[in-house]
Amino acid sequence: MREKKPALIVTFPTTTDAMGMERMCAENQLPGRLIPVPREISAGCGLAWKAPVDAQAHLTDAMSQAGLHWQEVRVLELWV
Amino acid sequence: MYKQVNAMGDPCPIPVVKTKNAIKELNGPGTVETLVDNEVAVQNLTRMANNNGYGVKSEKLGESSFRVVIEVGDAPAPETAPGGEETCPVPGGSRNDTVVAVSSPCMGTGSDELGAALMKSFLFALTQQDTLPKTVLFYNGGAKLTTEGSASLDDLKSLEAQGVEILTCGTCLNYYGLSDKLAVGGVTNMYDIVEKLSAAGRVVRP
Repeated sequence: MREKKPALIVTFPTTTDAMGMERMCAENQLPGRLIPVPREISAGCGLAWKAPVDAQAHLTDAMSQAGLHWQEVRVLELWV
Repeated sequence: MYKQVNAMGDPCPIPVVKTKNAIKELNGPGTVETLVDNEVAVQNLTRMANNNGYGVKSEKLGESSFRVVIEVGDAPAPETAPGGEETCPVPGGSRNDTVVAVSSPCMGTGSDELGAALMKSFLFALTQQDTLPKTVLFYNGGAKLTTEGSASLDDLKSLEAQGVEILTCGTCLNYYGLSDKLAVGGVTNMYDIVEKLSAAGRVVRP
C-alpha cells in the first residue's frame, strides 16, 4: 500500500548550490538525497534536498559551516 | 425520429452501448441525444459517430454534464456490441500501459554531472506520480542505474514494490561487467525489450 510520510525539504537559490549540498553531505556522511523541487513548493524547476525530518538541525548547522546558501527548509508529505 | 438517452452516472462503455441501441431503434434517419457526465464519454461517443459516418456535436451543460447530439442519416445502424471506439479509464487509475525506457545514467546531454542529477530526479519524480508506469526498461548505460551503488535503487525498489516491472538488459549488464551486481528487478533480453516497447501504449524516454 502506498503511503505518504513527512520529509524535510531544503531548497536552494541555484542548481549549483543544490549539487554542492549533495557533495557536502556525501563528504560528511549526512543523510538525504537530491530530488526535483516538489510542486507544492514551486511550479518552477530546480533541485531540492530531501532528508529525514529529525535531521533538520544537523543539516542546517552543516550548511552554515560549509557556507552553503539555502532558500527554505520545510516539511512536506511525500510518497514513500 | 428523435430519441434521448440518459447515460449520466453510467460507467464506460455503457454510454456508447446505450447510444448504439437508441440509434438502432431509430430504424432509419433521426437524432439521438445522449446525456453524459464526463469528457471521456463525450470523446467515445464522438469517435463512435465519426466511425459510422454520423453527424455529431457536443456541448458542456455544467460541471459534470454534457450533451452529445448524433444525427443519423441513411447509414446502417452500428453493431450494438462495443466496437473499439471506447477508451475506458483503467479502474482505480493506478496503473497504465506506459513503458519508461532508460538508455543512459544521464538525462540529456551537456554536463554528465548535471545529467546524473537530472536522472536521479526523474526516477524520484516517477515514484511520486499518481499513475505509475507498467514497466521501466534499462539498457546500455541505463543498466548502471539498477546495479549496486546506484543512487536510484531506493526509488526503483519502491516502484517495484508498487507492482512496476523493472527490467535490465542482460547483454548490457554483461558488457559493463555488472552481471552479478543487479540490485533491483529482473534481467531481460532484446526480444522482450522489443515486445514491451511495441506493445506499450506510450513510451517515455527521459
